[in-house]
Amino acid sequence: MTIKIGIPRGLWFYDYYPLWKTFYEELGAEIIISNPTNKNLLDKGVKNTVDEACLPVKIFNGHVIDLKDRVDYIFVPKMMSVYKDEYICPKFCGLPEMVEHSIPNLPPLIDTEINFNQSRKHIMKTVYEFGSYVTKNPIKIRKAYSKALQAYEEYKDKISQGRFPIDGELTSKQLMLNNKNKKKIALLGHTYQLYDRMGSMDIMKKLQDYGVEILIPEMINMDVINEKAATLEKKMFWSYGRKALGTAIYLKENSDIDGAIYVSAFGCGIDSIIGDLFERWTRKDGDIPFLLLTIDEHTGEAGVNTRLEAFIDMIDWRKRDEGNLPAHG
Amino acid sequence: MRNCYLGIDVGSVSTNVVLMDENKEILGKVYTKTQGKPIDAVKRGLKEVQYQITDEIKVKGVGTTGSGRHLAAMMVGADVIKNEITAHGIAALNFVKGVRTIFEIGGQDSKIILLKNGIISDFAMNTVCAAGTGSFLDRQAARLDIPIQEFGNKALLSENPVRIAGRCAVFAESDMIHKQQLGHNQEDIIKGLCDALVRNFLNNLGKGKDLAGPVVFQGGVAANVGIKKSFEEALGFEVLVPPHHEVMGAIGCCLLAQEHASKNNGTDFKGFDIVHSGYQVKGFECLDCSNGCEVIEIMKDGQLTARWGDKCGKWSNNITTDQEKLA
Repeated sequence: MTIKIGIPRGLWFYDYYPLWKTFYEELGAEIIISNPTNKNLLDKGVKNTVDEACLPVKIFNGHVIDLKDRVDYIFVPKMMSVYKDEYICPKFCGLPEMVEHSIPNLPPLIDTEINFNQSRKHIMKTVYEFGSYVTKNPIKIRKAYSKALQAYEEYKDKISQGRFPIDGELTSKQLMLNNKNKKKIALLGHTYQLYDRMGSMDIMKKLQDYGVEILIPEMINMDVINEKAATLEKKMFWSYGRKALGTAIYLKENSDIDGAIYVSAFGCGIDSIIGDLFERWTRKDGDIPFLLLTIDEHTGEAGVNTRLEAFIDMIDWRKRDEGNLPAHG
Repeated sequence: MRNCYLGIDVGSVSTNVVLMDENKEILGKVYTKTQGKPIDAVKRGLKEVQYQITDEIKVKGVGTTGSGRHLAAMMVGADVIKNEITAHGIAALNFVKGVRTIFEIGGQDSKIILLKNGIISDFAMNTVCAAGTGSFLDRQAARLDIPIQEFGNKALLSENPVRIAGRCAVFAESDMIHKQQLGHNQEDIIKGLCDALVRNFLNNLGKGKDLAGPVVFQGGVAANVGIKKSFEEALGFEVLVPPHHEVMGAIGCCLLAQEHASKNNGTDFKGFDIVHSGYQVKGFECLDCSNGCEVIEIMKDGQLTARWGDKCGKWSNNITTDQEKLA
């Protein structure tokens, strides 16, 4: 009988799912992904999570509940650190424990620890551990892993071309306008929030409906971002923070964007610092319009819509004003 | 016959209607409480503004704004539906020359708008929390049994303001009660509250922004002279309150409608007669998928005119076919 492994459509899902899906499928397991976030799932998640947790963790628990009665294992790795000397966030570090103690009657979790804080030297040991839930054959595991890496690289490549995994489905390439109405906006936020239609109030679609070309950090060369982030006074030890601040410095120096929007998850401790630092860095010596959107469990979209509409109006207005200036002097 | 433009601002606390002529002269203005019934408030506003007009007029364009802008637009047939920030910015630009900064405090939201060379260059709006906005002041005035109109004047009498924590409305209230039980007089507590709200506003929204004068203070709360004084003390220069400060959003809509009319022909305005129409609103939860959208149906004189609230669009898009079926 094939082993059924459930992958919750939340948190790191949007960054890595082709890697894990391909890996387990190559090993012969069946992968079941939870349904896209919906109100019912969100409600269940909120009900079964400690109050202090951020919205994305609540949504994640909703996805675990969605899967729990139809799979043999639920994939909830203990993600401590994926880069040297960096961490993700305290909630990721304790996620399997949090899930286990919040939701009753769970099938066993695949909760292998991913910790490359010291080095990646023993990465294969971690891979074998993940594989051991399906097979004990190291050759099979190694083969599956290399296939998975390939799928993962292809996935990242598509995202870097401006295809977004909204609810896990890659969109077609965005239309690049090349006329004077063209607006390009940098969109910052956790992948698990931006790509979750419910969790982001569908912000990407809303922006695209306004004719906005979206720039996300994944579309900028990662080496450049890391280089910029290295110029910070102090090392940013959160992986997400490093990416966001590196992007901020890059945008400030090579600004061909008309504005920047930072989507923050209500209750996110990292956002409370990074959002503010991001604003300061993008605005330093420049005047890139900036909008901070905090999204929580409210289902009312009016507040978000009003702010977005005003932001786009402002950009249009500024562009029209620039166009009115005489071409010479 | 004078050509006019109608602006309607349906906010959380008040609904404002303004009628402006082509020379930007205000012919009529109404400030009425929304009281949780935006449909009634819009009708009441239209009726009252009609009473104020003596001349023959012709409405050439209509604009709506505020959190109830879509509802109002559906009722009256609006040509322009705009967010509050743009509407307030445009109104201030037209009524105060060279304005650089706008503070706007309404019933449930507060915003700061910065302008450069006559265009909006930056803005910030309060997040989910409504601390320091009109509805909180209303509540405190009611608790202290002071009419809201006199609240500001009381603050001016204070000689020794107390310090109140204004970060959160709930904490501010308990802090106020604490100070009151210690025996501080009412004027000092009210002034302390005004200072706290201003401090909160400037820290929260004005954070990191260059607040250059002239500064215009508008919205319903601008009627409160206590808050105006606290702003001036905090900033160190004068803050202007324009003559029609409480209806600036609606004025912005008139201006936007005028601009729209100059580029397009005709208006969608359904006429003042709609005040005699009966509107029923029905809400239901669509159970076709697990999103469970809360769909709103608006019936005008028994006929379905609008639907919204669904994510997938199957209710809002189907309105014409359903109308035919009903007919």
